[in-house]
Formats: sequence, structure tokens, C-alpha cells
Amino acid sequence: MTLWFVRGLRRGVVTTRYPARPEESARFLPGPPAFRPGALTRETAGRLAGACPSGALRLAESEGQADGGALLFDVGRCTACGRCAAEAPQAVTSSGAFELAATSRSVLIKEIPLRGRNDDTGRTA
Amino acid sequence: MRSDLVTTGASRAGAGAVTTFQVASPDLEAVVRDLSGLRLADMFASDGDAPTLRLVWANDAGGRQSGYVITETPIGGDQYPELSDIAPAAFVEECEIYEQFGIRPATGKPLNRIMLPPHADLPTLGRKPTREPDEVHAPHTVAGEAFEFPFGPVRQVGVESLYYGLVTSGEEVVDLYLFTWHKHRGLEWRLRGLTPPRALFFAERAEGLSAVALGWALAAAAEAATGIRPPVAAQRARAVALELERLYNHAAAMAALCQSTGLSVGQSAAEIALERLLRLNARAFGHRYLFGVIAVGGAGRAPDADAIRADLPGAYEEFKRAADALLDTNSFVDRLEATGVLTIDQARALGLVGPVARGSGLAADTRLVPGGPYNADIGTGIAVATASAGDVLARFNVMLAEAAESVRLIGQFLDAGTGAATTDLPRTSGTGLGWAESPRGEALAWVQLDDDGRISRARLRPASARNWRGFDDACRSQNVFTDIPIIEASFWLTAAGMAR
Repeated sequence: MTLWFVRGLRRGVVTTRYPARPEESARFLPGPPAFRPGALTRETAGRLAGACPSGALRLAESEGQADGGALLFDVGRCTACGRCAAEAPQAVTSSGAFELAATSRSVLIKEIPLRGRNDDTGRTA
Repeated sequence: MRSDLVTTGASRAGAGAVTTFQVASPDLEAVVRDLSGLRLADMFASDGDAPTLRLVWANDAGGRQSGYVITETPIGGDQYPELSDIAPAAFVEECEIYEQFGIRPATGKPLNRIMLPPHADLPTLGRKPTREPDEVHAPHTVAGEAFEFPFGPVRQVGVESLYYGLVTSGEEVVDLYLFTWHKHRGLEWRLRGLTPPRALFFAERAEGLSAVALGWALAAAAEAATGIRPPVAAQRARAVALELERLYNHAAAMAALCQSTGLSVGQSAAEIALERLLRLNARAFGHRYLFGVIAVGGAGRAPDADAIRADLPGAYEEFKRAADALLDTNSFVDRLEATGVLTIDQARALGLVGPVARGSGLAADTRLVPGGPYNADIGTGIAVATASAGDVLARFNVMLAEAAESVRLIGQFLDAGTGAATTDLPRTSGTGLGWAESPRGEALAWVQLDDDGRISRARLRPASARNWRGFDDACRSQNVFTDIPIIEASFWLTAAGMAR
């Protein structure tokens, strides 16, 4: 046991300096999606909502609307799986964010405005 | 093997050595006796109200003989021949099939609750059983000073929900039984109607500590069902992730062993190695627990070879330093030696897998089955570590040897070249079996695809679902209360893998 005491002392404290300093390893972690402004059409947003396995993405209800509207992004349901970015890489990238704490549930739900015209520039080949 | 069996189809490319036989229900008992030289790897039913019983047998002989045999038996009524009396490994699945399909062994033996929580009207895969499970556990007599001590399902710190029924006379464990249904999520029910890529998302999360292995098994099953083969470089990328998964799991098991023996500095040393390995995972594949690496038809991500070459030696050195120091500590080794003993006969009879089986002397390792990247690249060069004592120390030593082998294999795969390519999955019907060697042992998946290429039945069988059935035997082997956490750490199983 004495040897383990000495080993512990010799090894010292091994920990990260976060939050006093930036967490270096965070840049390798998967992050929730970031949406390129103007690149998200209603058709692309519909595909993103269909591809999201955890229901974090859904179209805002708007009766009979073909263009415009909004995509609702619930950060609290996002598992950062990256399927949305794979579905439409021109419209979605990884945000790299990992400090996602909020003081109320509603803050985690973002409204992403969609583009007015229905030309699908975000579509992948 | 019975000569009158009819081969209905062999595996297609991507599945390796799988042979499927149709067996009539009256012949099933005799066939199970004939196949008793093989390991009963899984048993499940499919096809809802007119169930087909499938038994998956593994040949662990090594080399070209390694592979799987599947028997398919349509069940006409609500009973099938008694199998667990011949193959004890079948009992847990007999209980599970009764819960999900309402069919049971003909002898009417008592069946236990395995998956579905009581008083919860959850959907099942077939017709519901006519009556509740009997809740009968291992036969024992509680008399004299012995009593049952309930422990769980809520346990210390962040450990998963699990209930032990401990029968004890005060110190020695007379008997132990488990309730494993507290976190049942109905995953196999949930997978119905999904495309294989969509189902993969759930398979990775069925048992997060085996995300690569279970994901690989499901992807391989879908690939076998559709007759495609992933690109070789993608197979190597999968294998790199699988070995990294083994490394961090074995480091976590070492930390748990230290915690269970009260060696907090050793636990910290192991957790330093664990954290370095998890950070290496993130750097190499973009996820600490390697989610998203496996894709149906290939690999979704390629490893950052430079990152692995730069960081793996240091992380493994940390692991090795902690392990060597632990093996030099008598008070630690004494707690492991002769604790939680499982004999080779017990391991064989219960169909155990992974380090638990190998620690008892069974050299079963699915990486030896022909057709995968291991055989193509490494040939016969995989060293399968085994031990004979069957105790906690034997399992720990097997894990340490496997970690060293994983480091060597990762280097070989990186040298051979890895990539993130995929082969497109055609929309076609079929059935397929897939497997991968998880840190806990053989992970299996079987899928049945409809004409649209969607899953009509998926079976997920993580190694945990296999090895928990050996846990009570290990605990009964003249152990005391305080040995149980040590035995559990050496098994390194998850409740999630059982209660999927």
C-alpha cells in the first residue's frame, strides 16, 4: 500500500485546466448542427427532419406552405450523430459547440428560418 | 451432423461461413443432441403469430472450420421440444421467446421473466403469452439461518439498474439471481420497418460500450442478407475501431476492479489510461465512444492514422504501467485469485463468450471466423489469449493480453490502409447473420429484410445477453458478499445489453 501512496504522489494531479483554459480535446468531439443561413429550403428541411433519428429536427407547422417557414431544432434532443450534415452538407455543418447548458428547456429549441424560394441548393448528389 | 438434414442455403459474401438448415419440429430435439459439440450461440423466434424458431450454433474450432450453423424450425402450435435440458444455454432464450411469442417448451417447465417488466402492457413481437412468467429461480432451500437479501435495482453511483436476489447465510453467497428487465427498451420491436442504416443508429446505442461491435454485427447481417461486401479498406477501419473499443473497455474494467477492491490510487491510474484512450477515440474517429464509425456497407469514418500512431503508444504505456503495478500488489492479486471461479465445463454448457469464456479455457473468438479483415490481413497471426483457472485473475490476465494484441493489430491495419468507403445497399429481401468480437465477447445480429429492403425482424444479441447467465454460477462458487463487485467488474457486462 505504501508503494501505491508513493505512486499517487509521484503521478500528481492529472486533470484538465478547463474552464480556466479552453478544452483542447473539445474540437474533436461531435457537435450539434449549425445551419448555413439562406441555404435551407423547405424541401431540404423536410429531408433533414426525416433523417433525424432522435426527432430533434421538425418543420414548424404552416398550413399549405410550400416555401419559407422555419425548421425547429431542439438541441435537447440532438445526439450529434451527424446524419443531418451527411444528408445536406451544403446547408448543415457541425457547430463544434459543447457548452450547451441552458437555464430553461425552451431556450434549447431554436427556430431556423427557411429560404423563401423552393430551389433545392442544399440537396446532395 | 444428421445426414438427412437439407441445406437450404449457405451464406453469401460478407457473412463468412454460415450454413442454414430446415429442421422439422419433431426432429429438433435429436438435432440439438447432434449439434451438442458446437456452442449454442443464440436462439430466437421470428414471424409473429406463426413463429419460426431459429438456433444459431457456433463452431469455435478455428481456421476454415470456424463459422455458424443456423437451424430453422416452424412451430405449428404453441409448444416446441424441450431444449434447455439438453443444451442449458437455451434456458434464458426459452424464457424470452415465451414472453415475446407465447410459445414454450413442451414439458411445461417454469419460465422466468427476462425482458418485459411486470404490469407494463408493452408490445411484443408475436402473440402474448397466455399467463405471466412463473418467476421461479434457481432451485435452493432457504432454511436455518439463510435468508434472501434484495439488492438493487438502484445501486451506488452511476451503475446501471440491476436487481440481485442474494441468498446468504450471512457471509457466503448461497445463491444469486438477477432481475434484468428494469431498463427494457423494446429495441427489437422498434427496429421493425426500419431500413438497415436507420436501424444501425439504434444498434449502436443498444449497448453503448459495444457500439462498434454491435453496429458491425448489424451491418454485417444486412450486408449478408443483400449479398454485398464492404470495401477492404473500410473493413480495416471497422477493425481499428473495434480494437480501440476493446482497449478502452479493458481499461475501464481494470478501473472497476480497482474500485471493487478499494484500491483508489490504482483506480485513478487506470482511469487516466481510460481517459487517454477515450480522447484518442475522439481524435481518431470523432467520437469518444466510436459512434458513427460503422456504416451499413462499409465505414462512415476513416481513422486519423497519424493521431493513433502519435497517441496510442503513450496511452497504452499508461495502461500497461497501471496493470503491471497492480499485478505486483499482493493485496490486489489475493482478492482476484480463486474468486468467482467458472470451470470450462460451466462455460461450455452455458455458451459463454469473450474474456469470461477464455479465462476458463475456451478459445472462442469470432475474429478467427474466415471472411473478415482479420483473416484477410493477418492470416493466422491473431493470438487468442486464454487462461485455465477460470477465476477473476484469469479473466484480468486475458484482458491484459488482449489489450497488447489490440495495439499490435491496430498497427497492422493502419499499415495496410484504411478508408471510409461504402458499398451501396440494394433494396432486396433476404436474411443474414452478422457478428463481431466485442470487448465482452461475440456480438451477434440477425436480420430478415422484406422486398422493400426494410427490416421485418432483427435480432440483437450482445455478449452481455450471453454472459450474465454465468454470473450467478461464478458468484456461487464459495464466494462472500464483498467478492460480488469484484466478479461483476471482471465480467464487465452491461445491464443494457441484457435488457435491450
